[in-house]
Amino acid sequence: MNLIADNLTYKPDEQFHLNDVSFNFKKGNLYTILGRTLSGKTTLLKTIAGLLNPDSGLLKFEEKNFGKIPVWERNVAMVYQQFINYPHLNVYENISFPLKQRKISNDEIKENVNESLKTVGLIGFENRKIQELSGGQQQRVALARSLAKKAKILLLDEPLVNLDYKLREQLREEFKKIFSQGISEETILIYSTTDPQEVMELNGEVIVLDEGKVLQMGPAKEIFENPKNLQVAEVSNDPPMNIIKGSKVSEKIKFENINIDVPNHFSKLDNKNYNFGIRASEIKLDNNGQEFEVELAEISGSETLLHLKRGSTKVISLIEEVMNFKIHEKVKVKFNENKFYAFDENENLVSSPYGVLNG
Amino acid sequence: MNFKHKYVFLFPGLFVLIGILIFPIVFTVRLSLSGWNSYNPELNFIGLDNYVRLFTEDPRFWEAFFRLTFLSVTTVILQYIIGFALALMVWRDIKFKRFFRVMFLIPMMTTPVIMTVIWRTFFHESLGPVNDLLSVFGVAPKWLTDPALAKITVIIVEVWQWTPFMFLLLLAGLLSLPKEPFLAAAIDGAGPIRKFVYVTFPLMAPISIGAIIIRLIEASKIMDTVFVLTSGGPGTSTETSTFYIFIRGLREFQMGYAATLSFTYLIIMIISLTIIAKVLTKLMIKD
Amino acid sequence: MHKLYTFLKYSFVALWTMFVVAPFLWALSTSFKDFQSVTSKVTYIPWVDFKPTLEGWRVLVKSPARGGVDIIEPYFNSIFVTCAASAISIILGTLAAYALSRFTFKAGFVRNNDITFFFISQRIMPPIVLSIPFFIFLSTIGLLDSLLGLVVVYIVLLMPIAVWIMVDFFNRVPKELDETALIDGCNPYQAFYKVVLPNSIPGLIVAGMFCIIFGWIDFFFAFILTFTEVQLLPVKVVALNSSVTPWWSLSASALVSVAPLIIVAFIVERYLSKGNLSGALK
Repeated sequence: MNLIADNLTYKPDEQFHLNDVSFNFKKGNLYTILGRTLSGKTTLLKTIAGLLNPDSGLLKFEEKNFGKIPVWERNVAMVYQQFINYPHLNVYENISFPLKQRKISNDEIKENVNESLKTVGLIGFENRKIQELSGGQQQRVALARSLAKKAKILLLDEPLVNLDYKLREQLREEFKKIFSQGISEETILIYSTTDPQEVMELNGEVIVLDEGKVLQMGPAKEIFENPKNLQVAEVSNDPPMNIIKGSKVSEKIKFENINIDVPNHFSKLDNKNYNFGIRASEIKLDNNGQEFEVELAEISGSETLLHLKRGSTKVISLIEEVMNFKIHEKVKVKFNENKFYAFDENENLVSSPYGVLNG
Repeated sequence: MNFKHKYVFLFPGLFVLIGILIFPIVFTVRLSLSGWNSYNPELNFIGLDNYVRLFTEDPRFWEAFFRLTFLSVTTVILQYIIGFALALMVWRDIKFKRFFRVMFLIPMMTTPVIMTVIWRTFFHESLGPVNDLLSVFGVAPKWLTDPALAKITVIIVEVWQWTPFMFLLLLAGLLSLPKEPFLAAAIDGAGPIRKFVYVTFPLMAPISIGAIIIRLIEASKIMDTVFVLTSGGPGTSTETSTFYIFIRGLREFQMGYAATLSFTYLIIMIISLTIIAKVLTKLMIKD
Repeated sequence: MHKLYTFLKYSFVALWTMFVVAPFLWALSTSFKDFQSVTSKVTYIPWVDFKPTLEGWRVLVKSPARGGVDIIEPYFNSIFVTCAASAISIILGTLAAYALSRFTFKAGFVRNNDITFFFISQRIMPPIVLSIPFFIFLSTIGLLDSLLGLVVVYIVLLMPIAVWIMVDFFNRVPKELDETALIDGCNPYQAFYKVVLPNSIPGLIVAGMFCIIFGWIDFFFAFILTFTEVQLLPVKVVALNSSVTPWWSLSASALVSVAPLIIVAFIVERYLSKGNLSGALK
């Protein structure tokens, strides 16, 4: 029951929407596709659904060539980021629509619909009109419709992106529960998002996509701990991982006249130039630290993102409270050297705090 | 999306249209190359003689074309101004709003020819109410028998008939405008004139252009009014291109020559209307 | 200042309303006149200026044999031709519009927009250009002076309108709705019929109304292509005009002929006020 892709390529205009994408998805697993906007996530999902045909490459499901099977005969379900429900039908009719298409008996339909309504927490909403529902409720109806189908492949394209912050968090929790309990063992779940935090929370197998290319594939933990190269490090962190050009000289990390003791995991590295990576959360204000100039202070929720500059080096520091800063103010920050990553001049990972990967 | 099914959707309509059109167009071209008239009703071949005649010996056609341009441009401009004004007035705050809206729509729903029959009695120089009322001022204009005035009469009737169309398109456009720019203008203390010039009119630009283009296309086919009201007269003062073609083809039965006129006219109209549409659209995009 | 503006506003609106109503009132008044009232001097208000009679109206229901004007048959002919041609145009036009909105067509250098333009540009075609060849064509296949022939010709007039309105409308329905229907197991026909169409009612109504309006008011084609067997309303009324028909029956016939579409004015206004129209007409 695997969904196998071999070298899918789709280039409808100047850009590659899909560039040589291959994967092997197994049933009963959750796969999260992480990528920026226009990285090819939606294209990939639409290709799996059958709404797009790749220029080249093969897509196989259950040993059958998916490419020869039209959309309406594939056993897939999809939840869009825009709340898509049938406006002319009420909640019950919406959810039962795909089941009626398949000519299932009315009793079985009723059972399925009720089950799905229960899973998404919308019992009692059967007769409501779609227009009466809030955004979150509409998205739940869309999910319920997808669940009721008991499709073998469930696709979700940034389903939470159009909801406000609080709702997003709430629904994410519910999704996690639904994904782990409410879905059959036979289903392949594919969930796309631009939010690295969401990816970590959902904790599935991650595919990092950028410019149509698969950058890295692995468990969420792996992507977090060992991003394969700079591109992955950038895409999979929010705020993006700080990349500092510097060098290792004997036991020191050197950049902008700053010397930091090398962490243990750097011990085997050669003395040369590197792209050092460090997360914003690992740069803290500290009076014993290095001096940087404030370029911008962004308040985000209950945190402050401090954009700092020193010479030609720019970093972002994440401060876990709301603080005010003046532009051009000088502050002192300390780097947690144990959390440094080292990427070589080809931008590939050579040393990470969580165990060396890559060679 | 790309399914084989797309052909089933498109082709019936496309083929029916092409099917019904192909014969007339091809036949017109062939006819234009013949000398079919009431003495020789046969499809002979005289090459481009008809076209030569059209371009060298027939100023009447070009005069008719000029008249058509004058009439259609004038009526469309008047309809736009009046239609826009009416739309603005019944857009929001006015008593009996819905009553007025229905009133303003009515002329467009009437059959132009039939109304023109009524207009003929209306503008009748001795027995009609217009001149009767104007006799108080001592004037009795020759609405239908004076060459210059006849044009005015045609314009009046056309404006009466088709301003509702502009009115409808523009009102629909006004009703679909977002509220925010107007709220901002109100906060900025803009009066009605400023509001119109800086907010309403620019927002309505794309719809205005669409409406003008559509109306221009329809106006270029002015026929019914002229036919009943003045029969192209007096003389040829209200003779438009289409009416002239009608005379040649279906009154004098010079079918071959009429076909030449038809075809040439069609090409001119397609080219000029397409150019006008593209120019106006570019103007709009620049804004 | 504000008072001046309001005064001007109401004056303008009132003036235009009077202009709109003038010909109707005149026709109404004239329909009750007789020879005396029309020719001696210009008269306006019944009972005040002249003695009203019902002759103009009686003539409408008298059979032609007894000097009446037969308006019933042309009435029904017009209704039939308008409705038939509108129905066919809307069906074919909507299907084509859906294809042009959703799918990609490529034939050489011809793209979707070109095909749409081809449809819509048929409105540029002056009736005169089509009428001469249609005259010859229909007489060849024996459809001259027939209802069917007229319906065929009207399709050329009305399908562009249907396509114009529906393409615009469909472009405003999110493609994702179609896609969801496909994913839910509908083939493209079912997706159109079960999902897109039910959500396109406002557009269809607008298209329908415009088709009916433009079909009903046509004079030229009916004039050229029919004679005695089939007569449409506009032709009939104009024919009355040319013969020595008295003004009163003329006015009565005219009023009766334009009455139906006034109902359409009410329908259009209702949709306009409800906001459904605005979207469809842009």
